[in-house]
Amino acid sequence: MLEIVVVSGKGGVGKSTLASTLALYLSMRGYDVIAVDADADAPNLHLILGVNRWDYEEDYVDAWVATIDYSKCDSCGICADVCPFNAVRYVDGRYYIDSVICEGCLTCSLACPRKAIVRRREVRGKLRLTLTNYGFPLISARLAVGRPSSGRLVAEIRSRAKELATKDSIIVVDSAAGIGCQVISSIAGSNAAILITEPTQASFSDLKRVHSVVKYFMLPSALVINKYDINPEFTDKILDYARNENIDVLGLIPYDDSVPESITFMKPLIHLYPNSQAARALVEITSKIEERIIKSWHTWSRRFKPLKFIPYKPLIIKSSS
Amino acid sequence: MERALVLADLDVEEPNDHILLNTKLENEEPVTIMLPRIDYSRCIKCGVCGEVCDTGAIVAPKGRLPFVIPRLCSGCRACYFACPVKAISEGLRVIGHTYHTRVKLGTTSFDLITGVLREGEEHTPPVVIAAKKRALSIPRDLVIIDTSAGTANHVSIAIKDSDIALVVTEPTPLGLHDLEMILELTSTLGIESWVLVNRYGIGGSAKFLDKLKEVVSSFKTKIVALIPYSHEVIHSYVKGLPLVIMHPDHEVSKVLRYVSNLINEVI
Repeated sequence: MLEIVVVSGKGGVGKSTLASTLALYLSMRGYDVIAVDADADAPNLHLILGVNRWDYEEDYVDAWVATIDYSKCDSCGICADVCPFNAVRYVDGRYYIDSVICEGCLTCSLACPRKAIVRRREVRGKLRLTLTNYGFPLISARLAVGRPSSGRLVAEIRSRAKELATKDSIIVVDSAAGIGCQVISSIAGSNAAILITEPTQASFSDLKRVHSVVKYFMLPSALVINKYDINPEFTDKILDYARNENIDVLGLIPYDDSVPESITFMKPLIHLYPNSQAARALVEITSKIEERIIKSWHTWSRRFKPLKFIPYKPLIIKSSS
Repeated sequence: MERALVLADLDVEEPNDHILLNTKLENEEPVTIMLPRIDYSRCIKCGVCGEVCDTGAIVAPKGRLPFVIPRLCSGCRACYFACPVKAISEGLRVIGHTYHTRVKLGTTSFDLITGVLREGEEHTPPVVIAAKKRALSIPRDLVIIDTSAGTANHVSIAIKDSDIALVVTEPTPLGLHDLEMILELTSTLGIESWVLVNRYGIGGSAKFLDKLKEVVSSFKTKIVALIPYSHEVIHSYVKGLPLVIMHPDHEVSKVLRYVSNLINEVI
């Protein structure tokens, strides 16, 4: 079993397009593929894969939310002072807890001198599973809108994927944008990371940030540059970075209007416009993933490990009072 | 009349506004959260700190000394309040920084506040809260908040108490899907939403515009502008120069000025 995570830092640079193409290509090549959409607060992979119903859905109940029992509350305001997330507001003479912001951490109920705050379980989101029209399963999560992001939810769908997997399965994880808990949960314990970026200053800056998280977990990495021809000089700069950081360069994808077109039709690019420039580049890249990463895993994973192990270090400025 | 403007980049995981504005971040301030420190001479090994910790940051098997995993700690202080023998004191850990930069662009200038999460840290809300607070402490006529992608609480914290939400979408199934999620959030928070349809003109736009209109009207809000799909937008992005400066007479620049004027009228 091999788990490959696609990350980009920045959103909208082609992460889901690459992840869906990779899953499709490997499935067509006869691999047992499981796709995982780890972007729980804006899940999109199912749309690209043309999924319009779920075979199985389940509430994911691990969140808490605090509420005030007004028969005991004497409006002392301690809860508002201690809340680390500014979720307690004072409106019209009484305190209330904003259930959208509250992370359910228990701090206010422990600090309340009158024990007037209780917390109750809440649905954090949904776990969903379906067999796509392309013959492989997709596992996806959807977070309740506005609620705390959940690394645990991502860890849960990854472990569900592992339950379905056999020793020869390839799990393709499409991670969320950013570098926060969902992304860290997508990366931790994966086997390999595919980084995708655009040749723009903003996208490159985001790539470097997410790559430093990848390095904390010592994943061997490969790079794809999307829309490389919109800024060829900058593409060279990113290639230099990849060389210095020991990242395998899988290929470059040209700017191509057929990519957004294929998205509007909810059909994968390599099926809809197989002869477009971007589709050809994507197929070449995914075939390299098969040849280099999957078939030659032992050589590749050693060759493209991060050069140095730089562990995460907390920045502590006051050790105790 | 020139307005006193503050731009708050609250996409703390991947802040980009300063890059697009070609400016270096200045006036760094740390964002700290509480880090529990356990006084082992007082600890009675009861395990309560581990029980109340919601993020798995305290490993406290009963009958053994607990220890803290800083990376997982959200700084909520539940352990501090729960400890029956007051063996936990408050240390401080830096999880990110905020910046205050004066941006000069042509003849105008404004304040940029940026929140940046430290790489490897998981908890974005404290950095969003700190950056927002810093932005709101500046005297101004208008604050523009740039949020991160998605609809999780780092977005809800960023937009809470705003007067208007500019919701940017595109005429594709992905745009439609995410538009529904974000409008659900803005309507829950009671924020007036103005929808901007970006990249109008890519394949199937007309069909999806109808669907977008249905969603928008079901949330009782409105589409204020269609932004045409244009390669010049990509070029200006690549060059790091705002389109309204690079191509002031471009169709997209006109649309953006139209939206700015609408906002100006509200002020």
